[in-house]
Amino acid sequence: MREISFRNDVLPLKDKFFRLALRITRNREEAEDIVQETLIRLWDKRNELHEGMENLGFTICRNLALDQMQKKEAQNVAFDPALHETADSDDSPAEKLIAKEGRTLIQQIVEQLPEKQRSIIQLRDMEGKEYKEIAEILQITESDVKVSLFRARQKIKEQYVKLNRYGL
Amino acid sequence: MDYKYIEQLLERYWECETSLEEEQILRSFFNQKDVPARLLQYKEVFSFNEADKENRLGDDFDARMLAMVEDKPAVEAKRITLWSRFSPIVKAAAAIAIVLTIGSITEKSILKDMPEPVQSDYMAYPQTYRQTDVVTATNNVDNLAIEAGIDSMMPINAANLANDQQQ
Repeated sequence: MREISFRNDVLPLKDKFFRLALRITRNREEAEDIVQETLIRLWDKRNELHEGMENLGFTICRNLALDQMQKKEAQNVAFDPALHETADSDDSPAEKLIAKEGRTLIQQIVEQLPEKQRSIIQLRDMEGKEYKEIAEILQITESDVKVSLFRARQKIKEQYVKLNRYGL
Repeated sequence: MDYKYIEQLLERYWECETSLEEEQILRSFFNQKDVPARLLQYKEVFSFNEADKENRLGDDFDARMLAMVEDKPAVEAKRITLWSRFSPIVKAAAAIAIVLTIGSITEKSILKDMPEPVQSDYMAYPQTYRQTDVVTATNNVDNLAIEAGIDSMMPINAANLANDQQQ
């Protein structure tokens, strides 16, 4: 039995969890808090599991993010994209615009997808997970994963082609 | 160059029929410098995840996490052998055995010096009997004394009675 080290086994997963939390909450500070909690919970469970740590972490991370969203909804805080723009960039306005142009179209489309589809896109296209793993993380069936991913990709294709045509 | 393969993959990508490896091929293809114009419109779809990888947590986050985790003492699984598990019981049993052994040895050596106690038993009986008689007798004497006391109080009572009658 190999000993699990926080620094070498748990901490390196932080960015993956951060991106999923960010995809769900759309807020950096909240995502950071969620990752912190996820890492601690994962560390507390280290004696119970020796493999599948990453996928368990994704499950914990997503559940925490969903809880956070529910809490926010209960407080009736509407999502305002202007509030969540990254303000810490040092780029010039022109560079910002280019970066934004290069990203927003697809980013915006993904952001408009329902949470489940967003999370699946994140896990499949960004983190390269198999359908089986995604089903495990989201605690749904594999066919459910495929159906959701299909809908998400169709939506991206349709919207992207449409917006690209009028936008360019 | 023929891009039929890529177009085919792309078609299957939208239908969710591509494997992870095939999706990786698409990604590498669209992330290279010269993508043909007709496919260029999809570049963004596959370079999107590269941009997403820029979303990272800083070193201050690491420092904070490490400080938090190292503050908590690690609960480590301890290897328990059969000996370490039962050694307190074994030690206690050994201590009791030693005490009992020493006790019985000293008892035997003390008893060796003493006369046989069993023989004197029937000789002791009459003596005890006699002693009981003495005690009973003494009790009788005490009882008599108490009765005498009560009798000696009688005249006082009689005197009081007489006084009452006079009044």
